[in-house]
Amino acid sequence: MKQPGWQSLLSFSILFLACLAGFSSRLFAVIRFESIIHEFDPWFNYRSTHHLTTNGFYEFLNWFDERAWYPLGRIVGGTVYPGLMVTAGLIHYVLNLLHITVHIRDVCVFLAPVFSGLTAISTFLLTRELWNQGAGLLAACFIAIVPGYISRSVAGSFDNEGIAIFALQFTYYLWVKSVKTGSVFWTIGCCLSYFYMVSAWGGYVFIINLIPLHVFVLLLMQRYSRRVYIAYSTFYIVGLVLSMQIPFVGFQPIRTSEHMAAAGVFALLQAYAFLQYLKDRLTRQEFQTLFFLGVSLAAGMVFLTVIYLTYTGLYVRLLTCYAKIHIPIIASVSEHQPTTWVSFFFDLHILVCTFPAGLWFCIKNINDERVFVALYAISAVYFAGVMVRLMLTLTPVVCMLSAVAFSSVFEHYMGDDTKREKPPEKAEEGLGPNIKSIVTMLMLMLLMMFAVHCTWVTSNAYSSPSVVLASYNHDGTRNILDDFREAYYWLRQNTDEHARVMSWWDYGYQIAGMANRTTLVDNNTWNNSHIALVGKAMSSNESAAYQIMRSLDVDYVLIIFGGVIGYSGDDINKFLWMVRIAEGEHPKDIRESDYFTPQGEFRVDKAGSPTLLNCLMYKMSYYRFGEMQVRRGALTPPGFDRTRNAEIGNKDIKFKHLEEAFTSEHWLVRIYKVKKLDNREPLDHKLRSVVPKQKYTSKKVPLMLGGEFALQVWRDSFRFS
Amino acid sequence: MASVWVKSIANLPVLSVFLLLVLCLPPGGGQKKKENLLSEKVDQMMEWSSRRSVVRMNGDKFRRFVKAPPRNYSVIVMFTALQPQRQCSVCRQANEEYQVLANSWRYSSAFSNKLFFTVVDYDEGADVFQQLNMNSAPTFMHFPAKGKPKRADTFDLQRIGFASEQLAKWIADRTDVQIRVFRPPNYSGTIALALLVSLVGGLLYLRRNNLEFIYNKTGWAMAALCVVFAMTSGQMWNHIRGPPYAHKNPQNGQVSYIHGSSQAQFVAESHIILLLNAAITMGMVLLNEAATSKGDVGKRRIICLVGLGLVVFFFSFLLSIFRSKYHGYPYSFLIK
Repeated sequence: MKQPGWQSLLSFSILFLACLAGFSSRLFAVIRFESIIHEFDPWFNYRSTHHLTTNGFYEFLNWFDERAWYPLGRIVGGTVYPGLMVTAGLIHYVLNLLHITVHIRDVCVFLAPVFSGLTAISTFLLTRELWNQGAGLLAACFIAIVPGYISRSVAGSFDNEGIAIFALQFTYYLWVKSVKTGSVFWTIGCCLSYFYMVSAWGGYVFIINLIPLHVFVLLLMQRYSRRVYIAYSTFYIVGLVLSMQIPFVGFQPIRTSEHMAAAGVFALLQAYAFLQYLKDRLTRQEFQTLFFLGVSLAAGMVFLTVIYLTYTGLYVRLLTCYAKIHIPIIASVSEHQPTTWVSFFFDLHILVCTFPAGLWFCIKNINDERVFVALYAISAVYFAGVMVRLMLTLTPVVCMLSAVAFSSVFEHYMGDDTKREKPPEKAEEGLGPNIKSIVTMLMLMLLMMFAVHCTWVTSNAYSSPSVVLASYNHDGTRNILDDFREAYYWLRQNTDEHARVMSWWDYGYQIAGMANRTTLVDNNTWNNSHIALVGKAMSSNESAAYQIMRSLDVDYVLIIFGGVIGYSGDDINKFLWMVRIAEGEHPKDIRESDYFTPQGEFRVDKAGSPTLLNCLMYKMSYYRFGEMQVRRGALTPPGFDRTRNAEIGNKDIKFKHLEEAFTSEHWLVRIYKVKKLDNREPLDHKLRSVVPKQKYTSKKVPLMLGGEFALQVWRDSFRFS
Repeated sequence: MASVWVKSIANLPVLSVFLLLVLCLPPGGGQKKKENLLSEKVDQMMEWSSRRSVVRMNGDKFRRFVKAPPRNYSVIVMFTALQPQRQCSVCRQANEEYQVLANSWRYSSAFSNKLFFTVVDYDEGADVFQQLNMNSAPTFMHFPAKGKPKRADTFDLQRIGFASEQLAKWIADRTDVQIRVFRPPNYSGTIALALLVSLVGGLLYLRRNNLEFIYNKTGWAMAALCVVFAMTSGQMWNHIRGPPYAHKNPQNGQVSYIHGSSQAQFVAESHIILLLNAAITMGMVLLNEAATSKGDVGKRRIICLVGLGLVVFFFSFLLSIFRSKYHGYPYSFLIK
């Protein structure tokens, strides 16, 4: 390309197309269903964004949400990363200012796809700094469609990660830029971007550990320069002050262990720079004496603490990633599992096998910024191996390094030898056009397979809103199961505004968001004992559960039951986690082994354990189910559970303290009303019939029985007489 | 069962004499004798457990101190097979945990004569195993101070595992004795790290005249790739979950190296994937080498074709393995 104009036009249009492809491949859910918020956490984010736009920013910061964690409530303003809500609120505000009236829900739904475009651009910029323009464009194309990132950023998944990956990549770009130039301008930009990242996602800890690690390794490699000194000193101070402005972060950056590595490296860098300065001023002899005296002591200590703190800080961070909560809850979340090779391949396809080649090229041609990307790759791949959800931080670096690998191959094989500016000096240099075109063709074919794979995965695995379910018939027609929204809307319309709904914590955000009712526990699992209490109520028998529900002021109980349509994510399948969490807090009352058969199986049919067959969750799930013939015509008995493929064991379920309030069309959601106490406790036993032998009875005798009952007997005895 | 019991008692001269004595003596004296016997037994148990935190039992001792009635102490028994020829690796691990627990109890301030830890090895007390109808080891049982062991007095090893914390929880449940598990700090990791550091330091010192190899980029690149390959092939999953190396079908003896489900993997499988990933990466590197290196064109062409073959063939192989695990995946390349 001789004219630079053509080149930039081409780059621009490729980048634009990548953004467009990224945006549109995230719209499967919107096109199939509608513009709707997905899953669980996004509902909370949406609700708080709604609160922000209706009540203003300061009201949002001071928001005490009395509708969650009844009776405790939750301080929302101080316990969220506000970046996401503020971003959506700002976009909404600007659009309305321009008289483009959109509902805040639409802003929330389309925020993540829009930000994926920005991520593609920042990845392009970062890769261009690391390698060259071509690799940058390839990286932008990869990140736009790679499933590992799409999984968290489809339209409707309004979650922190959606905007955080953009902030992450952009911060890294500005960091690399500032290390390269050594200018304060770029570093301040980096700090601002870091501030945005801190406000958006807890994963900012990754940045505040990776950048010091980069500086530390540069020092070890004797690549210290003024540029590094300026960049890191500015970044550490300004970034620290800015990050402490977020209420949820507060004083953590100077207190907790995961931020200590940054402080240690800062001290080390100052010491190192000071030594460099002295080196110029002192004679060699003096300097050596000073060096051995001071440095061997101080530096050694700093080194050890830095390594120790980096190690423990990151490790502790990983172990207690999801706040400081109880282990059964951590273990019950499927995202917190280690990663199999299948998930790596599923999320990254060909990139996972080619990015080591990019890493190889980077290390072979090392410079300051390639040290950074190598460290990024190694640390991210380690974390992704430990926990599935951290695959998200690995994805960008995999895209960049794969792009490096592919672009260096294309560079050598795609160009035409004869049209080069400098014709090859010797005839034997070229590999021949045949081989070149074969290589190019096959590589393009692999990339095409990657694109096809990405689309397939996005369409099949990551585009289900999980609030609305769809099932397909044999002829391809589609059934929409809208039970969740049906039930939440029922709650919204038919219950008292201050009614308290008990459910398992998974559904807390959805009930608050869609039904606008008070919940006891929700997905912000900060209070384990409260969750354990709900778990205990669900796994006790009805009268014991009634005691708990009375003490918690529960008006309605909501459960998810999939036995009719064969939905596997229902409460009976989650039930053992409820038992385990309850057992953790109330080991005397709840025992996990009571819910198993003597053979150690969890069964809902006749062979199941009697404790299970009489607990509240079982009774609520299967109430009236024994009369129901699930599949008409098929040879299944009434009360056949399609999820667990078993005929239920307890078909005669009667409630004393509860009554069925609502069951959705496919029985997916069932809501029960908790009855108020009767005016007077009905008696469990028959009244004693006192037939007097004499006409005259002493008044003292009945009174000795005591209380209301005694009086009644007394009266009866008079009637008999 | 009862007949066996009587027979085995008859074999014991001491006990049979004692039985005779009990039968002969008047009831009042029997009570006293019983108390004497009890204190004797408790003293004996205390003496043993002060010597070793876990008391080794053979058949006779087991019957006398654990089974025979006058008792006011609970006994936890581990039935196990620790002899090397039994090849029971689980037993050894369980034994370690059990020792940790017993030591925590032995050296805790709450140590009393209410609870004793004992062990019965199959090779020393096979008759006990037969008597209790036990055919698997290790098994943990609690013999309460009063009455016979119930179902819950057998520790549910299959479900809970044998970590000392779990055992302590179970014991607290059965006997109301709270044991705080105190693990002796594990120095092996620190020692290994120190050894490694000193080894590297020593190596550097020995080769201090020629430190060029530190600046060798190939070595560093290799090390980085090793980490990457280990992680992307799921070695961390193996480390945490501990899957079997491969699965052997008990019916027809076929060995499968690939797990059928996408949720799990075998160790062998992860090694295969590691090799495939490495081969594809090598192919990419070779393709690049072929184009950039200066040398004989024929040689470079061969390198180029080998690289291309590695990438294409092994990627399609990888894809076919993925397809066999992820049911319903529609795409394949070259290999079905």
